Amino acid sequence: MFLLGSFAVAGPLIAHLLAKPRYRRVPFTMLRFLLVGRVESQSRRRFRDLLILLLRCAIIVLIAMLFARPRWLTEIEIDESRPVYYLGLDNSMSMAYSDGSGRYLDELVDSAVEYIRGAEDNGLFSICALGSQEWARDLSKDAALAEVGKLKVTAGTADIDNFVSVLAGARLQEKLERGISVLVLSDFTTNTLEQFADLSEPTIVGQIDCRAIVSPKPVSNAAVTSAHVTGSKDGKLVLNVSVANYGDVEQKRELTAKIGEKSSDVVDIKLPAGQERSYSVTTEIDLEERGTTFLPVELGLSAGDGLEEDDTFYLAISVPQRKSVNVLLVGEEDDTFLLKTAMTALSRMNAYEMVAVRQVSFGRLKSPDLGWADVVVCSAIAAQVGDMGDELESFVATGGKAVFFMTNEPSGEAAKKLWERGMLAALPGRRLQRQTGILPDVSGGKSSVGDNDAAAVKSLSHYRMERIVLTGYFECEQHADSVRTWELDNGLGLVYVKRLGNGTTILVNTSADDSLGALTKSSASVAFCGYLLGRNSEIAEHSFAYGEQAMVPASQMELKFAKDKQFWVQVCDGQTKQGTIRESFLFVPETCGIGWVRTLTKPFRYAGINLPEGETDMRKPTSEVVAGVTKRAFRVQEGEISKAEIFNDKGHKPIWKIFVWIIIAMLLIEPAIANRMKR
Amino acid sequence: MAKSRKYLDPVLLSKLGNMDLVARCAVEGFFAGLHPSPFHGFSVEYSDHRDYQPGDELKFLDWKMYGRSDKLYIKQFQQETNVTIYILLDCSKSMSFSGNGSVSKMDYGCFLAASLSYLMLGQADSVSLVLFGDKIRTRIPPRSRRTHLNAILTALEHNKPSGQTNLADVLHNVADTTNRRGVVILISDLLDDEADIYKGLTHLKYLNHDVIIFQTMDHQELNLDYEGLIQFEDLESKATMRTFPQSLQEAYRKRVAGFVDDIEKSAGRSGIDYCLLDTSEPLDKALMAYLGKRKRLM
Repeated sequence: MFLLGSFAVAGPLIAHLLAKPRYRRVPFTMLRFLLVGRVESQSRRRFRDLLILLLRCAIIVLIAMLFARPRWLTEIEIDESRPVYYLGLDNSMSMAYSDGSGRYLDELVDSAVEYIRGAEDNGLFSICALGSQEWARDLSKDAALAEVGKLKVTAGTADIDNFVSVLAGARLQEKLERGISVLVLSDFTTNTLEQFADLSEPTIVGQIDCRAIVSPKPVSNAAVTSAHVTGSKDGKLVLNVSVANYGDVEQKRELTAKIGEKSSDVVDIKLPAGQERSYSVTTEIDLEERGTTFLPVELGLSAGDGLEEDDTFYLAISVPQRKSVNVLLVGEEDDTFLLKTAMTALSRMNAYEMVAVRQVSFGRLKSPDLGWADVVVCSAIAAQVGDMGDELESFVATGGKAVFFMTNEPSGEAAKKLWERGMLAALPGRRLQRQTGILPDVSGGKSSVGDNDAAAVKSLSHYRMERIVLTGYFECEQHADSVRTWELDNGLGLVYVKRLGNGTTILVNTSADDSLGALTKSSASVAFCGYLLGRNSEIAEHSFAYGEQAMVPASQMELKFAKDKQFWVQVCDGQTKQGTIRESFLFVPETCGIGWVRTLTKPFRYAGINLPEGETDMRKPTSEVVAGVTKRAFRVQEGEISKAEIFNDKGHKPIWKIFVWIIIAMLLIEPAIANRMKR
Repeated sequence: MAKSRKYLDPVLLSKLGNMDLVARCAVEGFFAGLHPSPFHGFSVEYSDHRDYQPGDELKFLDWKMYGRSDKLYIKQFQQETNVTIYILLDCSKSMSFSGNGSVSKMDYGCFLAASLSYLMLGQADSVSLVLFGDKIRTRIPPRSRRTHLNAILTALEHNKPSGQTNLADVLHNVADTTNRRGVVILISDLLDDEADIYKGLTHLKYLNHDVIIFQTMDHQELNLDYEGLIQFEDLESKATMRTFPQSLQEAYRKRVAGFVDDIEKSAGRSGIDYCLLDTSEPLDKALMAYLGKRKRLM
């Protein structure tokens, strides 16, 4: 069918016959010097055109033939004298299980050795360690026995996909009439079974032998499957730890949380077979006075089952310094009522439990009040605020946050004083009684307003406000150094933020009290108050399953020198590896084994690497399940596959690759010939 | 040097438009690039002092010497030789050729003629301009006044290339009609019969003229750097030829090189200075060739 494509040759032929050369007209003076070579040139050009035409026709015919999948009828020399064996041997972490008489891996090695010894002497063996994904190909019998003897348990889970795909590729490549003899030895944990179940189509093999390595005795295995921080209070950390009994016998164990040398009180575990429960563990922690505390928390079960590796869970946490935020609301109580309510509501939340709010009127604002406050919110730009310009400037410059709302008639003199000091992010001008809305999604805050505030401003600017119609606003002159965080429909700013010294000054282009108080009357007020109070100080967890890319929080110094310096981390087996910094994390390219990854520089930051969840599940698979997945994954050559279908492939060597190379060569030669013939 | 050379760049000069400005820029640019200039003081050269004799012109008295020595001396100057220069500029249609579209051979020749005229009149030489195609079209008689430059420049500006070349006839005509020995500067692409050209030049040499040939050629004429299929149309004969120039390039270059080489050798045998000018090159090569010749004459 595809050969009909050869008729496409007609295209270049017709084009050749119809095409007329297009000459560019050029005036010239020295025609007499050109005349000699003319005849020779034209004859050469005709010859070149013909040659190029033939070449292009050949390319089209070859492409058409390529689609027809040409095969070369030939006798393939089949090395039937050397049978091929593929062994998939599971050396994942679950194979470290021991029932008292020996580990699963030892039994696996014995079975494999027995299989190899029983194989033909001239056999060709390929062995895949399913857990570590290491291949040893085309081994002799003795070499295969030695390779099996070297097998070790590795962290992580068995990868069946890789084994099956290599096996399928080998069958296609080698064209073995007798097929390949395959042996799979595994404990068939949940993960492994799922992978078998997910295989899209069976692999055709000559012979298949899947054996489950399981203990004849009842399985005894409990595992810490997960752990999370539920809270911290008074120097104590409360953890919620899940323990599962994957065995056949009841587990009586002890659970302890360990941070360095400190251990928590022991929690007694009594878990019937096949059940999973959560336990609360409390442990004391020493928090840093300044900054975030990074802690490696090891949650361990006492010894007593067949698989020790899943008895410990590595949970790295970071506890930010809890902030004490003092908010001073300046103005009449009615004006700031809604703002105060929002802040009080936030203060009840865990992250802001140390927020203190105090209210003073404009007339009673004194310097000591500013000394107490971290955030000052002025409900209007009143004359008294202007008089306190020196104190307010000093307050902001030393790290404070000052917020100025507008009223219908702000004090022009006070505003001017503050503007001259750089205290206002925008200077209010004429008030306009026109309706406008607040844009629900404003992407402001592009420029930096200080390292600490930039992220907060950015997140604030992305906060979705519902559409609120204002009845008036001020024409503001924006300060060159300020950022517009929220906008009005007409392009004017609603919230302007400006960095001043170590602090921030914020101007809101509406009032906090009357119907124009759109900000405080909207749900955005929570976001706004959250921004004023500082970042949410939640405890973060840094734990990963084996195989995931681990990362630890990057320090300020690392972020600063991310492009200029290299940063190293110590991984689970004690080796040091180079990390890469992306966004605000230090990524570790490889983790070896189960345990801790930690930075080499202070503050030491940790990430815990744990076993994948399915790898801890040691429930024995039934023989029916194993037989089912085996049947699904492999199909023996005789019987279900018609012999004709198989033998059709034999004796015909596909030559499409040759065609591809010829076409590529021709495509490369074509311009070369075209150019060469021009001369 | 680099800065001054920009005034010698034909592409830049072509943008000036005003021929007087072209000549001034080219010549002053040329001199600005020479440090120290060996051509300073061509005009009136100091030679010696002698005692004052009654009847001597008082304007030649050296008053400074009188102030120092209380004796009267007359300054003597080297006698200046006034040379008559005939500039012969080919104005045939082939001179309108411009390979890359910027400066034609005609433009280049005009720049060169203007610059040389400016230079020569500055040295009090007499300059004559002859514009010709198949015959002499314009002839400006030799004059040495500075104002004579205007007449030359006007003729150059109003000149339009047309017709065919008949160089031999023109050279014979010039030889027959010049009664004073001088320097003949021929600016042409010399696309005519080589033997005839040689005869004409020999005629001039026979009359003891010093001859300088500036053969102006376009870069494309010398190299044939065209691509693709091209129909060439001869500017003078209107003959056409279709070809793929890249296939002829090598042979063409050889033939052109042979043609140029023949002219150069023939000129050399007759004591004629020959200078091949590529219109993409600055004018200083031509000016240098002329000044070298002028110095030898002095």
